Amino acid sequence: MNQELPPPPVIELIKVSKFYPPDVEALSDISFAIDKGEIVYLTGMSGAGKTTLIRLISRMEKESQGMLDVAGFDLSKLNHRTIHLLRRKIGVAYQDFKLLPNRTVADNIAISMEVVYQKTSVIEARVRNLLEQLNLSKKYDTLTAELSSGEQQRVSIARAAANHPEILLADEPTGNLDAENTARVMSLFYQLNRQGCTLLIATHDKSLFRGHNRRVMELRGGRLLTTGHLFPGTQP
Amino acid sequence: MRFFTTLLLHTSRDLLLTWKSQLMTVFTVMLSVLIFSFFYLTYVNALHVGTEMGNDLRLVVYLDEDPPPPLQDEYRRRILKFDQVERIKFVNSQEAYQRFSKQLGSDSDVLSGVPDDFLPPSIEVYPLRSLDSLARIKRFSDYLETLPGVQKVLYGKEWIDHFHAFIQLMRIVIILSGFLLIMTSTFMVAYTIQLSLFSRVQKLELLRLVGATTNYIRMPFLIEGALLGLFGSTTGIAALYLLHRWIKLQFSGPTLFNLVPFTFLSWPTITGIVTAATLLCALGSFRATRPILHL
Repeated sequence: MNQELPPPPVIELIKVSKFYPPDVEALSDISFAIDKGEIVYLTGMSGAGKTTLIRLISRMEKESQGMLDVAGFDLSKLNHRTIHLLRRKIGVAYQDFKLLPNRTVADNIAISMEVVYQKTSVIEARVRNLLEQLNLSKKYDTLTAELSSGEQQRVSIARAAANHPEILLADEPTGNLDAENTARVMSLFYQLNRQGCTLLIATHDKSLFRGHNRRVMELRGGRLLTTGHLFPGTQP
Repeated sequence: MRFFTTLLLHTSRDLLLTWKSQLMTVFTVMLSVLIFSFFYLTYVNALHVGTEMGNDLRLVVYLDEDPPPPLQDEYRRRILKFDQVERIKFVNSQEAYQRFSKQLGSDSDVLSGVPDDFLPPSIEVYPLRSLDSLARIKRFSDYLETLPGVQKVLYGKEWIDHFHAFIQLMRIVIILSGFLLIMTSTFMVAYTIQLSLFSRVQKLELLRLVGATTNYIRMPFLIEGALLGLFGSTTGIAALYLLHRWIKLQFSGPTLFNLVPFTFLSWPTITGIVTAATLLCALGSFRATRPILHL
């Protein structure tokens, strides 16, 4: 009998909690697993703990309790010398964008490709392609400080997607976008997913996953209410 | 190759962003190198002066009476036991008389009627030609005075003492200015790099988040520090060269420089100073980047 083991999940959390002093419990006993190639929506009201969870997965913060395994790395064993190994495998679109205001749109996207020593020609082609997909072609040389919030948000998403990451974490990726640009962003996400990227999208905008056959996890008060049911009303 | 191109690109971008503080640091390093190398140049030329003057240096050991050959051998043995010397010459009373008479020239008739052994016999000791021989000569003189049959020992005590004091002072000044160079190179560069780091915290944080390695973040700062050291020390040496030319022009003519050449630093010394300043500045930069790399 030749039975192959299922591939390990790319994101796995076991009883993860996060406390902030003096006694704020941001996340409590979170456990779930996400397989390679999945698109999972993380929903919940503001303050539910979505951003904290994304910060833990991207190792911007350390968990107070529990175990996190992301892209094959046990996060408790990563230190400042090895953290880049994880971060090169994940792309993060931050809620606060984290752009360099005195640098151009192209520079801000290219930075994630420069750190892995991509060729200039490859970087330029990828940046132009992403900007075209996100309707920002004309902003190539514009300083990000001169962009609107919606444009900045798309630049942040483009930077997260630039390196063809194994995992893409998006924190409220469409919070500042109109319907047309939301569709463009989601189209980019699905394209990445077709190429094998696993996506975890934190959003409180239910229209993003309504009507789609995707897993939805809901956080409330730092606790995970559901670990992966399809949104009611959708067809598996 | 891509690694170096990316690093140089980052370094040049960062240098352009903070060029004013970089310029100030280059100027400070330049001044430190100039001060240190000026004193070192003075010291090196003082050594030349010492060597030149040491060529005529000798100790004259006056004796009670002419030593017979076995005693001469004993004196020679005792002298060599204390230190290596270039030459030992025994001068008997008659030879001393003849020399004195020759020095008097046309006035030598004043010696008529004076017995030719009225001058004491002596031993002329020529030390090895080095600055150390100047430094050791007093101890040598003290030792020679302890030998039996020695009346007294003469040498250019006063100028040697002054010269020795000057050389000692120069050594202290060089050590102090070297210390100044180390302090400015490491601390000034460290503070400049720190300012530079603080102005780029946002970028460094982002680099960490997108997967930059510690080396990727640190190397541009190390290159920046090394470049500050290289430019600062090179301009410092260039300024010293101009100063050297100016001094030579000012004192051209019948001065000391005609007797003793006022030379510039040798290429190995220049290379040493520039390399040391560059490494010190890179070290300062390394120190400055350590705390911030734990983002």
